[in-house]
Amino acid sequence: MKTKAGFLIAGFLLTVVATFAHHAFNAEYDANKLMRWAGTVTKVEWTNPHARFYVDVKDESGNVTSWNFELGSTVQLRRQGWTRDSLSAGDQITVEGYPAKDGAKLASAKKVTFADGHTVLGGSPSDAKPTY
Amino acid sequence: MFDRPSFVSFASFGKIAICTLLAACFAFPQSNSGAITGKVIDQDGATVFGVSIRARNLNTGTAYKTTSSGSGDYSFERLGDGTYQISFPTLGLGAPPQNVVVHAGQASRLDIRVRDTSLNTLGEDRSFYATRAAPHPTPSGPAPLTREGKPDLSGVWWAPRILEPPEPTLLPWALDTVKQWAANDAKDIPSARCLPMGVAMMFEFGVTKLIQTPTLLVIIGEHDESVRQVFLDGRGHPKDMDPTWRGQSIGRWEGDILVVDTIGFNGKSWIAAYPSAFPYTEMLHLTTRFRRPDLGHLEMDVTFDDPGTFTKPWTMKTVSDFAQGEEVQEEICNENNQDPGHLVGK
Repeated sequence: MKTKAGFLIAGFLLTVVATFAHHAFNAEYDANKLMRWAGTVTKVEWTNPHARFYVDVKDESGNVTSWNFELGSTVQLRRQGWTRDSLSAGDQITVEGYPAKDGAKLASAKKVTFADGHTVLGGSPSDAKPTY
Repeated sequence: MFDRPSFVSFASFGKIAICTLLAACFAFPQSNSGAITGKVIDQDGATVFGVSIRARNLNTGTAYKTTSSGSGDYSFERLGDGTYQISFPTLGLGAPPQNVVVHAGQASRLDIRVRDTSLNTLGEDRSFYATRAAPHPTPSGPAPLTREGKPDLSGVWWAPRILEPPEPTLLPWALDTVKQWAANDAKDIPSARCLPMGVAMMFEFGVTKLIQTPTLLVIIGEHDESVRQVFLDGRGHPKDMDPTWRGQSIGRWEGDILVVDTIGFNGKSWIAAYPSAFPYTEMLHLTTRFRRPDLGHLEMDVTFDDPGTFTKPWTMKTVSDFAQGEEVQEEICNENNQDPGHLVGK
């Protein structure tokens, strides 16, 4: 917490402004709204600038919505150990990520977990193993 | 990094006895025994390396600087009592400084959370950034020479590692621009529309391939799909060029250093200097010095001279590691770019 004079009490967590990467994921996706989706992969696009995959997600009433998830480039993914077969249509997965700010059924994906609990390589920042 | 509770308990056992046992006592006289330590993390709690942090004692004016490590840790030690202004010169220049009070014998903990534009998206997450910045294993040996006896810069190279975060001083309009970029989450970044991002000879992501002949250096950029020619045949810059995204480059040898001179930029791209980005004008004059000190490394020092943007020229020093067994991959940005319609910013 901050005192009136703007002094930080030791031990505070200071939040500062974004660093620049080459791509503005957080101009498109809401970094304050981490969400999880569970469903079945219907399509994988192993393309650039972003590989993408689509998931049919069923809500409590049984209505199915198709969500569009964005990954990094195929070149970056490959160097981390992904292949174009790491995800396939029919896979039952859980996705963790950030939804689009404009309300589209669109999100970035930071973690993908299969039904048996294993993650696609590099599932979370803490357990990703650099391969290069 | 010292452990605060232990330090305090040691001090209570009597200074003389402790100081004969602990060399640290001589390095930490009571009057300079304060510290500020912490971790730099992103919005997911993953650690962020390479963030430049400054601490300035507001009473004495003494300034300290450090950079967060691979584990995100940073520390300022041996600080005298007082109030310190903590600032982040490379975080898009939109992060306001904050003040921290330091007391003797105490480590003030200040964790810093950085909102990063990558959101840890798979393929562009913390491990991608960390491995991009960490030295790669490289073959050892002397730099190969050409038939003319010059260092041969040819090869496939990992992205340049910036050796110290750049801190140019911007003119007011440029500072406002960078603050706007930070405020709207960089929604207008050219690379999001598959336009060139960056002006330096080697791009900050992906590999770069250099092909050197006696009269021409060709630089192929993987991530930004770029091909540049650096003419080594003694020609000067053409007169009356149309400004372009990547400028026009000529080069000459100064001993073992290839000095490349680039002008003719159109001012439309953003200078990429991770974690910062800067605007620039058509006045930009880039001087790039390439040096291959040994087989495994390529040093690239880039001097940005643009009186329309910066108060004085500034230099970004980088080194790239030889990417043994790697090749430039095809990465067609326009193939499936779905982002532009959704880049709303805040």
